[in-house]
Amino acid sequence: MPRSLWSGSLSFGLVNVPVALFSAARDTDVHFHQLHEPDGARIEVRRFCSEEDEEVAFEDIGHAYELDGGKTVVLTDAELAAVAPERTRTIEISSFVETASIDPILYDHPYWLLPTGESAGTKRAYRLLVEAMGSTDRVALGRFVLRTKEYLVAVRVRDGLLSLTTMVFPDEIRATKGIDTGARKPAKESLSQAVKLIEALGADFDPGKYKDEYTKRLKKVIKDKEKGGTIDAPEPDDEPAPAPDLLEALRASMAEIRKQR
Amino acid sequence: MAPRSLWNGTIAFGAVAVPVKLYSAVESKTVHFHEVHLKDGARIEHRPFCSKEGKEVDKDDVVRGFEVRSGTYVVLEKEEIDAAGGTRSRIIDVEAFVPLDQIDPIFYAKSYFLGARDEGADAFRLLHDALKETGRAAIGRFTFHKREYVVAIRAYDKVLALHTMRFADELVGRKDLDAPRAGAKPKPKERSLAEKLVESLSEDFRPGRLHDEYREAVLGAIRKKARSGKDIELPEEGEREEDGSDDLSAVLEASLA
Repeated sequence: MPRSLWSGSLSFGLVNVPVALFSAARDTDVHFHQLHEPDGARIEVRRFCSEEDEEVAFEDIGHAYELDGGKTVVLTDAELAAVAPERTRTIEISSFVETASIDPILYDHPYWLLPTGESAGTKRAYRLLVEAMGSTDRVALGRFVLRTKEYLVAVRVRDGLLSLTTMVFPDEIRATKGIDTGARKPAKESLSQAVKLIEALGADFDPGKYKDEYTKRLKKVIKDKEKGGTIDAPEPDDEPAPAPDLLEALRASMAEIRKQR
Repeated sequence: MAPRSLWNGTIAFGAVAVPVKLYSAVESKTVHFHEVHLKDGARIEHRPFCSKEGKEVDKDDVVRGFEVRSGTYVVLEKEEIDAAGGTRSRIIDVEAFVPLDQIDPIFYAKSYFLGARDEGADAFRLLHDALKETGRAAIGRFTFHKREYVVAIRAYDKVLALHTMRFADELVGRKDLDAPRAGAKPKPKERSLAEKLVESLSEDFRPGRLHDEYREAVLGAIRKKARSGKDIELPEEGEREEDGSDDLSAVLEASLA
């Protein structure tokens, strides 16, 4: 059972459901430590004042922000904390929107929300929210503060539980203007051939099928190195060139698929 | 102004090659600070120290090690770590085209945009239009900064969105959680009141209205301090949340009133 990262309450109208937050994604990456080469000891980072050349304690560090005019403002930890919004123990649901209306590009980190405590009232209120949201196919939007930052979050039903996802703010999504979007509209014949090819290469989404080959290779590199082997970087493959006749390439691809079946 | 591309490569499926450029899709606007020494306002430097000798070490003597057993490290050069990136650093091989609505967004990790390159621009437009028409996403492998990801590529506006994907074993599922047993079945009256409450709080999703109030508060405080030259006032401790109420129907009715 993973540890809860936060606990508080989910508030919806005047209903408060005590909940705890758990990450829904675990880190399976290979992590390295910085070492001092001559003796193999771990590196630790110390903070120094660039002017005095002396080590500085955490409580003597401030946070400087440079304004547009070049003027610098320094905030202390306490001042930064004072700016953080007060409702730090609640996830306040402000509205419900249709699930399909949120573009997934806005979703950031996924979490689970579980009811806390043994109170029958809490569990009943949690279940009521799950059922009411599930039956209307809606996502709840709200805000909450995790550590020092306020997040916009989407709460939805997943596997009979409430799933919470932090969101990036819409003004953090870059405009696509200025990105080259290609040529004119494709000819009908080309589009229908491309659609056929995509359908022929279609499959159901089966997430368990995709394995982290990179991490597997990296672990092998580490093992080889431990045994004293040498690791050579492979040469990158050449990019395939775009076909001079796109329609011909589509037809050839279809013919190849038919031959294989 | 044309955005700067981060990577050039080619999406490949069948005999079709679609040259693309990669752009970042998300620009964090979180307010970032520099660490400074409160006493004199000078910048803070992070210096590497050897934990055994307690002495500052030369940056060239810092290496990366993987802990194979407690206290035993295998040291790897950057080039050796990079070797795990594989040979497909410029090619996104499409493994399948899957229905977009089958992908739970919980799988999406980081997002980027893909645009056309000068050569093969017709292939880009064709792939975009065909993905849009079929409602499918291309699933493939993509190598970026010497690291390979599984990605989903879909039509987004007139460009393509590329999402790096979490692997199934990276997700914490219901069975990994010690979820308490479900509460009692809500009474029909509670349920209909709750649905009414959801209905009454429902609105269209209008992303333009969602502001980062915390970012605005931090920037506001910074400007105020710059103007007044005074420190920010520190508030009293806030109130704790209330406990869940037992009389659900009464609370729901009060919420609707």
